Amino acid sequence: MTRKNTVHVRMAAILAAALSIAFASSARAAQVGSPAPAFHGTDSNSKTQSLDEYRGKFVVLEWHNHDCPYTMKHYESGNMQSLQKQWTAKGVVWLTIISSAPGTQGYVDAAAENAYMKKMGAKPTAAVLDPSGAIGHLYGAKTTPNMFIIDPNGKLIYAGAIDDHATTDASDIPSSKNYVSAALTEAMAGQPVQTAYTRPYGCSVKYAQ
Amino acid sequence: MPRFHQRALFRNTLRLILCAGLAIAPAANASAPSQPVAGPVRALHLTVELLPLHDSIQPGGNTLIGLHFTLDKGWHVYWINAGDSGEPPTIKWTLPAGITAGAMQFPAPRRLPLGPLMDFGYEDEVLFPITLSADSTLKAPSAAPLAAHVNWLVCREVCIPGKADLALPLQVAAQQGPPDPTRQALFDRFRSLLPQPLPSSAKAVFGTTPSGFALALTGHSATSAQFFPLDDSQIVNAAPQPVQGVDGGIQISLKKDVNFRTPLAQLNGVLLLGDGTAYEIHAAPGPLPAAVAGASSAGFLKLARFIGLAFLGGVILNLMPCVFPVLFIKGLSLVEASRHPHSHVRAHGLVYTLGILVSFWAVVALLLGLRAGGRQLGWGFQFQSPGFVAVMALLLFFLGLSLAGMFEIGLTVTNTGSSLASRHGYAGSFFTGVLAMVVATPCTAPFMGAAIGFALAQNAAVALAVFTALALGLATPYLLLTFHPVWMRHLPRPGAWMEVLKQATSVFIFGTVIWLVWLFASSAGVDALTALLAAFLLLGIAGWILGRWPARRVPSVFAAAVIVLAVATPLYALWQFPVTDSGTARAATGSSQAGWEPYSRAAIEQYRAQGRPVFVDFTARWCLSCQVNERAVLNRADVRRRLHDSGIVLVRADWTKHDEAIASALSELGRSGVPTYVFYVPGQPAITLPEVLTPGIVFGALDQLQNRPKEKQEARLKQDSQP
Repeated sequence: MTRKNTVHVRMAAILAAALSIAFASSARAAQVGSPAPAFHGTDSNSKTQSLDEYRGKFVVLEWHNHDCPYTMKHYESGNMQSLQKQWTAKGVVWLTIISSAPGTQGYVDAAAENAYMKKMGAKPTAAVLDPSGAIGHLYGAKTTPNMFIIDPNGKLIYAGAIDDHATTDASDIPSSKNYVSAALTEAMAGQPVQTAYTRPYGCSVKYAQ
Repeated sequence: MPRFHQRALFRNTLRLILCAGLAIAPAANASAPSQPVAGPVRALHLTVELLPLHDSIQPGGNTLIGLHFTLDKGWHVYWINAGDSGEPPTIKWTLPAGITAGAMQFPAPRRLPLGPLMDFGYEDEVLFPITLSADSTLKAPSAAPLAAHVNWLVCREVCIPGKADLALPLQVAAQQGPPDPTRQALFDRFRSLLPQPLPSSAKAVFGTTPSGFALALTGHSATSAQFFPLDDSQIVNAAPQPVQGVDGGIQISLKKDVNFRTPLAQLNGVLLLGDGTAYEIHAAPGPLPAAVAGASSAGFLKLARFIGLAFLGGVILNLMPCVFPVLFIKGLSLVEASRHPHSHVRAHGLVYTLGILVSFWAVVALLLGLRAGGRQLGWGFQFQSPGFVAVMALLLFFLGLSLAGMFEIGLTVTNTGSSLASRHGYAGSFFTGVLAMVVATPCTAPFMGAAIGFALAQNAAVALAVFTALALGLATPYLLLTFHPVWMRHLPRPGAWMEVLKQATSVFIFGTVIWLVWLFASSAGVDALTALLAAFLLLGIAGWILGRWPARRVPSVFAAAVIVLAVATPLYALWQFPVTDSGTARAATGSSQAGWEPYSRAAIEQYRAQGRPVFVDFTARWCLSCQVNERAVLNRADVRRRLHDSGIVLVRADWTKHDEAIASALSELGRSGVPTYVFYVPGQPAITLPEVLTPGIVFGALDQLQNRPKEKQEARLKQDSQP
């Protein structure tokens, strides 16, 4: 009886553990309103960037591919750079993340990325190189640009497009509503983010197939 | 598919040669607005052109224009909802006075997988029909030159935006000439892919499922379909869309986008059927039709899986504490029976199995009957009735008295052994089968919850099949033993020890009685409880009579009368002293619910709207598995602390008594009984935990909610599942 009981408990535990592992392994995209997935990666200056070290600050994640026409719309117009300057000046951490796999469009090594940032006058806090796509998959980043905002408590408060004009035409930028600026302004004023989730637009992130 | 590619390649090559030869392919990507060009325009990776179906339009008439893209191999342009990336083409007209253009119409697209992403669009070739209308005041004949500025995004692994200014020298004419047959065929091909309104005989509804939505199309003979959402960010585009056959049609499962959190009022999209027909769907929420077994291979596989789960659940049920007393009795009778001819033992095994089967069938028939009558009932519903609990308590008490040695009835081991071949012995075996099923109800073994939930949501045949599998699972271990005399040889030899063991079994039975009394008291009140205790005394008297004058007619009749009186007493008391909901039951559960809120759908919705996750413990006092999980896991100090620190709202849905709201919440989760443990996370499908909890499972789910790295979870799970 006692032995039977032990066997029973052990069996049930194993079964239950197997079941829960099965459901835990299904991938999930980052969820707005929940803690943002922790990550660490190497930036273009070979420094380790980890989300944890920025607890207490707003963090913007910008998925980037310098050859994607949608990314180019925001860099060649200077829109992205001015957002980076505007918000980092207010203490926001801005991480540009490049998840293009080697051999795909937008893949860069550290030197190339530094040269690009210098040429474009880009001013993110850091550019994180993610050629394995690990960070991209963790957040379910779909497009370039795909923007995410994390609040000082580590909660994801915005995921989606950079603005409401899903085009490659830079002349649309002045008339666009910038979702990132809107969300940061609201969150910094202690208000809930009105538009917290939008369909990101742009080129697909060039993950390793 | 490859043939399609080849054909398109051939066509592209042909067009390239044509374009090059005629030298009418200006650069399409010039940044300044260029002069509109009539005829095909070659751009990067595609050729674009405005094609009229007819060469002229009549005053007051309509004609069709096609925006025609011919794509290089592997390149695509996008549907109206491009999916995870990309953008649909757009057109901006410059039209002469008196001519108006309708919207671009999008033929049904195809799924374009791209690593973890899914886009919707067109490869090879596509034509977007556009209706042009002419004012009746237009003069005929006259020229009506059309110009259009077209933007597109063409992608393979990379995306290239393109634009072109296209011209079409249309004529206004009194008579319309016949269209060119090749062009007619091209238009027809893509017009046949335009989504049609659903025929009035067909109906589309959607329902909420644990993983998202299910879209059902009924009144249609389709057997396969793909769903393309018209609204973005509602479903996971890349998720597979399994199709199953349902009563009168098909059902497609769609996975919800984790960040989609507003209730869906209407599911809009295009349903592309296997035969190439496309329907525009605006489905309202509604009840989903019952699944049909074997209607599709997916449906059949699903049924087979649930039957397998039910069987496994039934086998494991033998190990659950509820069934132990009955197994004890069976085990003892087996030992006793080893003296008897093997065929008798086998027959008893079969009769025991039949007893289990018949009682399961009775329960499923009753459940389905009551459900047809509109009541939401689930597994274990009989324990929601205090009358049933009282009868169970009395039955087990009487059985306990017999096992303790007060008297002997056909059910007891010695008697069963001595009269193995008699009809009486068979009745005893049948009855223990029934008893096994009845006492098993408060226990839910792993796998059972999902199987029973599935079964009760299906038609009667499926429900019967799943319950039969469960019953066979419960009966199998004993049945196997009776069929293998070799195994029986390992059983100990019969002897005096059996009498001691039999008496010891009564301790378990009396323990069960105490639990049933606790259960009865929590819903019935003090008066009815007193009546039940009085009934135990009456049973004691009846037992004494049977033991004092065994196998004598008059005392037996008298004892039977006392038993009837005993059963009637608590039932009469229940009827005479009804207890209101707000009475003892709530008061009794109050203290144990510290930190737990009572179930309320509105409250849960409100918490979810606030972005707070909610954990719901669907439980009942009569559910032994629930009590064990609560005491051993949920009330553990570290689990409580972790739940508390996570800021999760804890809700206890007490199903001890019948509650329609809780029953419908369970059925939405695909369950029909307790225990059920669910995390409702804002904007995410509900996460259901297994029926048997361990602290590791709860921690694992919490880790997942907080998106901790997976390795950590698994390490912890391993650690915690060590006994």
